[in-house]
Amino acid sequence: MRLFQNTQEFPYSWEQVTAANWRKYPNEVSTHVVAVDVLRRELDESRTKLTSERLITCKQSVPKWLTMLIGSSNVSYIREISVVDLSTKTLTLKSCNLTFSHLLKVYETVQYTPDQFDANKTLFRQEAQITAYATINTLCNKIEEWSVKRFGENASKGREGFDSVLQLLSKNWGEREKLVDELSHKVADTVDEICSSTDSLLKETELKSTSLISRYSREIQRAFNLNKN
Amino acid sequence: MGNVMSASFAPECTELKHEYDNCFNQWYSEKFLKGLSMENECSKQWYAYTTCVESALVKQGIKPALEAAQKEAPFENGGESSESK
Repeated sequence: MRLFQNTQEFPYSWEQVTAANWRKYPNEVSTHVVAVDVLRRELDESRTKLTSERLITCKQSVPKWLTMLIGSSNVSYIREISVVDLSTKTLTLKSCNLTFSHLLKVYETVQYTPDQFDANKTLFRQEAQITAYATINTLCNKIEEWSVKRFGENASKGREGFDSVLQLLSKNWGEREKLVDELSHKVADTVDEICSSTDSLLKETELKSTSLISRYSREIQRAFNLNKN
Repeated sequence: MGNVMSASFAPECTELKHEYDNCFNQWYSEKFLKGLSMENECSKQWYAYTTCVESALVKQGIKPALEAAQKEAPFENGGESSESK
């Protein structure tokens, strides 16, 4: 199991950030997220807590050393539950991959809260727990390593994309409805990206690895060695 | 791409999704965030969209994996997983 943690601050109010959260995709940075669907959404009795279940569809290229094992299929799904709580001013998102989850699981938790000292700033905390369930140790470690690396890359990408969306949003916060389109065009997400790519790779890898590894052991070894650098 | 709102995983649901998203985003900013919401509005758009999605989930074979995840990390618990930690 590997852990990934990240903390950032956005120079926008919590309200702005949470509104932009629904419009993150598509954006120029996170092109691997191809679809976002809402599966369930409920408002609690106090009308201050909104829970949503979303399905995020990703397409991401996989590293060469893995394509040999997993083939060309690279669509993966992530399920995300988010809770917007007005009483505590907290937006919490929890996500996990659906695709090949018996081989690899990425649990991600993201939380947005207002800065205690500055209402115009929002704190972002992200934590991901990546576990590969493969039986072959080497493969397992490689996959975890790669997933963590990819997670980090996507996390910074996500920040970049989200920032640009927020900028747009804040300029015309008063006219935000008009901005929705622009926003969605630009917002990026951290979590989803990671999950999707990781999942599809890992899972399929494991599925096929038993037979393939014996057949292509030499090539696999070479791929692993190349990948070390 | 081309479109400013994210697509649905099922192309046949994308238009319905956009209608729902439009309504929801407005409700979220204008009502919910301001504490003015009496209910989760947009039910008409929601019903049309979710009906489409439900059948697409079955058609595309996503349902079983989704149900397993829903059992492991229930909506009612805010997606808290029983497996992670």
